[in-house]
Amino acid sequence: MEKSIETIWKEGFLKNDALIAPKLNDLYNQKSIDIVDKFRRMYKINIIGLVLFAVIILPVNIAVKIPYMGIPMFFIFLFIAFFALKFKNKLDKIDKNLNSYQYLKSFDDWTKEMIQFNTKFSRFLYPFVFLSLFAGFWFGGFGGNIPGQDFVNYLLEGNPDMLLVFGTPLFIILGLIFGVAFFAYFGGRIGKWDLNLGYGRILRRLDTLLTDMEELRASN
Amino acid sequence: MSSDFYTVSILPYSGIIIKICRAYTNSQEDFEDYYQEVCLQIWRSKDNFKEQSEWSTWIYRLSLNVCLTLLKKKKNNKQHNTLDYLPPEAMEDSRAFSDESLNQLYDAIRQLSEIDRGVILLYLEEKSYQEIADIIGTNANNIGVRIKRIKERLKKILA
Repeated sequence: MEKSIETIWKEGFLKNDALIAPKLNDLYNQKSIDIVDKFRRMYKINIIGLVLFAVIILPVNIAVKIPYMGIPMFFIFLFIAFFALKFKNKLDKIDKNLNSYQYLKSFDDWTKEMIQFNTKFSRFLYPFVFLSLFAGFWFGGFGGNIPGQDFVNYLLEGNPDMLLVFGTPLFIILGLIFGVAFFAYFGGRIGKWDLNLGYGRILRRLDTLLTDMEELRASN
Repeated sequence: MSSDFYTVSILPYSGIIIKICRAYTNSQEDFEDYYQEVCLQIWRSKDNFKEQSEWSTWIYRLSLNVCLTLLKKKKNNKQHNTLDYLPPEAMEDSRAFSDESLNQLYDAIRQLSEIDRGVILLYLEEKSYQEIADIIGTNANNIGVRIKRIKERLKKILA
């Protein structure tokens, strides 16, 4: 007579080997390697994205006649990609033979260094991008009329007494100074926010994992 | 996780965790991953245990939830093939038990939907309909009918 599923279940689990719990050693090994590998993949894609963006933005900006924006943007994005590549090389040098805790700790140190650099660099990056945008729209294409100058002439027609500094209306210069100051002041925060958008989730996982491991080490 | 907590609060209930994790995995490697994740989640969530249910019931619920979450994650990850996409004959790694009938029963259980797997495991563990309903989060009235249907399906698969 065929056994019922209830009988199979009961009899099967009566055997000694059926319920041997796996050992909990190496609990974090795979997790540690996974998290760093995932980050490494994302970081690599980010670098490729930066280079592609730099390469694309230059001809596109020349084509739409704003080369004074495209040229500095091209260099700044290549510059960022260069530093990101240097950081990636450092990341690749983290020794996988370390134990999970040391491996993650090394990765954590690396992320802190990278975030610190990124925050400092963003204070220059965002004002620079702001000035590039301004230059692009102000100076227009190579040769021909300068849109910014045309704009000043247009303003002067309506308001001939407007205060000019080196031929540029004072309010535009003040606006530029304000913009640069704003992005210099908030650049670090914008940089962190930007980084958080891309890597926030994985960095939070790293924090949780490290906290768990530290608790585990403390309680053993 | 302290070894004390594991020894006192998890290890005595490891049978529950093993039985559930086996139903949601088809390789030893996955099983060990799921088992470890369940233990980790029990440890992390231990402060949320309100003593409104028994510790074992709480472990059932948590183990099922962790396995369902991991399975969902795995399904979303196209790099992995989940059991759902494997024919039973491809489950060469699933001979987890020395009892061949139990292996066959597990193979059959793995062919059920994710929720049905949980329901039948709890039934086989002799949980009452009300307990099963509480753990799964459904109405106890439906459980009886559902179990009957699952058992018929399992019989067909095993035949």
